[in-house]
Amino acid sequence: MEQHCSFAAGNVEDATFQDPDAMRHIRRAHKRKTQLQYPSPPVEAATQSAKLAALHARLYLPSRLPLQTLARTLVDASADSNVDFNNESLATLGHDLLANYTSEHLICTYPRLPLSVTFAAMYAYVGPKTLAAISKEWGIDNATVPGGEVDPGFLQFQRVAPGTAVEDISQLKSSRPYADQKKWRMTVSSKIFYDDEFGDAIKGSVALGQGVTEETARATFVRAVLGAIYLHAGRPAAKRFFEQHILSRHLNVSELFNFSQPARDLARLCARENFEAPVAKIVSETGRKSRSPVFVVGIFSGQDKLGEGSGSSLMEARERAALSALKGWYLYTPLNPRVPSSMEEEGAAPWKPAHIDLGEVIV
Amino acid sequence: MATSITMPKRPFLTLPFLLPSLTESLSLGAVRHQSSYRRTKQRLRVKPDASFGPSQQGRDQIIYNPPSSAPKFLPANDVRRAMRPATAAAATTNVSELPSVYKTQPERKYHLTPEDVEEIRKLRLNDPMTWSRYSLAKKFECSPLFIAKVCGASPEKKAIQKQVLEAVQSRWGPKRRMAREDRKLRREAWGRDE
Repeated sequence: MEQHCSFAAGNVEDATFQDPDAMRHIRRAHKRKTQLQYPSPPVEAATQSAKLAALHARLYLPSRLPLQTLARTLVDASADSNVDFNNESLATLGHDLLANYTSEHLICTYPRLPLSVTFAAMYAYVGPKTLAAISKEWGIDNATVPGGEVDPGFLQFQRVAPGTAVEDISQLKSSRPYADQKKWRMTVSSKIFYDDEFGDAIKGSVALGQGVTEETARATFVRAVLGAIYLHAGRPAAKRFFEQHILSRHLNVSELFNFSQPARDLARLCARENFEAPVAKIVSETGRKSRSPVFVVGIFSGQDKLGEGSGSSLMEARERAALSALKGWYLYTPLNPRVPSSMEEEGAAPWKPAHIDLGEVIV
Repeated sequence: MATSITMPKRPFLTLPFLLPSLTESLSLGAVRHQSSYRRTKQRLRVKPDASFGPSQQGRDQIIYNPPSSAPKFLPANDVRRAMRPATAAAATTNVSELPSVYKTQPERKYHLTPEDVEEIRKLRLNDPMTWSRYSLAKKFECSPLFIAKVCGASPEKKAIQKQVLEAVQSRWGPKRRMAREDRKLRREAWGRDE
């Protein structure tokens, strides 16, 4: 057949194999058919995606990190169970890096922080909720349903069925004896040994076909990005990425405290450190006989004022003063704190040991 | 076309809020907006802290902002320990002159013997209704806290006390209950420094 027939105008059956438009259509249909048999987008699709290139540029990722790996970080294990194509291994690496960098930062900056506050600060810096928020700030959208034909710039995961109890999705994998006894008392120090970096019980991965929550999938993605940067661009780039995206977020550590008996704790602290016993003294007051009095109470150890607090009753002012004194103790920061991983930098000064003392007051 | 003016169903005089009120004009003389405003303004006119003011040209000034934590808490090898100025030490010399939070300081006697402690435990266990913490403290001339440290209440006494508390609380109305709950919440907020 000699006659030229465009695909847009006529019908496809009339076209020949010499016809470029028809061939393009056939190739596209064929490609789509092959794509559909995979659970996640094929590797070649990564270079075609505008979303992925935009994300790479937006995050200012190192050029040594290829788009193909960035596409892989967006595929959750619930979307593609093949470990060669999902982000599980990258996320494991990224998770360990995040936990390491954050914990060394917290411990070296606040060497006296109580363990429960350290856990809370860890959760605030690199907990799943924070990581999910970070991924939203990066402009990551979810794919409605994962599949091979989806643009690789979307986050791909299978959602949990509505009505599923989220706590029961993954089995408990804790090595703690009697870990399933929820009501038993667990000491804070035992959490270092048995539990994860946030002081929560370690859970296993989700069973196949169960799906994950959006928060989990997003957190896994952010961890995988850090793991990918570490693998392709090395430690300094990973550290820089961590500082720019995680440490740059403001966290007021002094708001994480919750004391039940600050005055008693302060008395214990002074006895332990051989300071004179703390004495509460009224620094100033107004309206003692009125409906809304204000007392300012200072806590003194010898001639030194340890803390000051104000309140509408003497007890409140005293408690607040003791609390401010305790915060002064706990939130001590050495001058120019350094972290162990700073020794990996080129030309780093010789390591001086981080400050360690008795720290937390145990009553 | 509808009429533009609709007649009110009720006469005008029965709707007194539409009329200019007489009371307003009378009360105007009693409220002193202008002068009280000026007074308030004057009281709030406090000289700002030197740290916030513009730096004085050609004249040196020292602004000392004390550290956030007590210098006593700095470890021995911290250089900031030596930076404590003499003025700060001089300012707190009158600690003993400041009034105490408590009216009387409890006198510590340390007079109870192990036999006394045994006696306390026996009394509290055998006859908890007579020998409460406070009556024991009075008898042995110590604080109720010391009694609590030495021995706990028996489970029966705890159950009775719980019933008593429930009976008392059942008589509370919504106002008192809410006030009590609010007080508890405020007390918890102290520990979070809110």
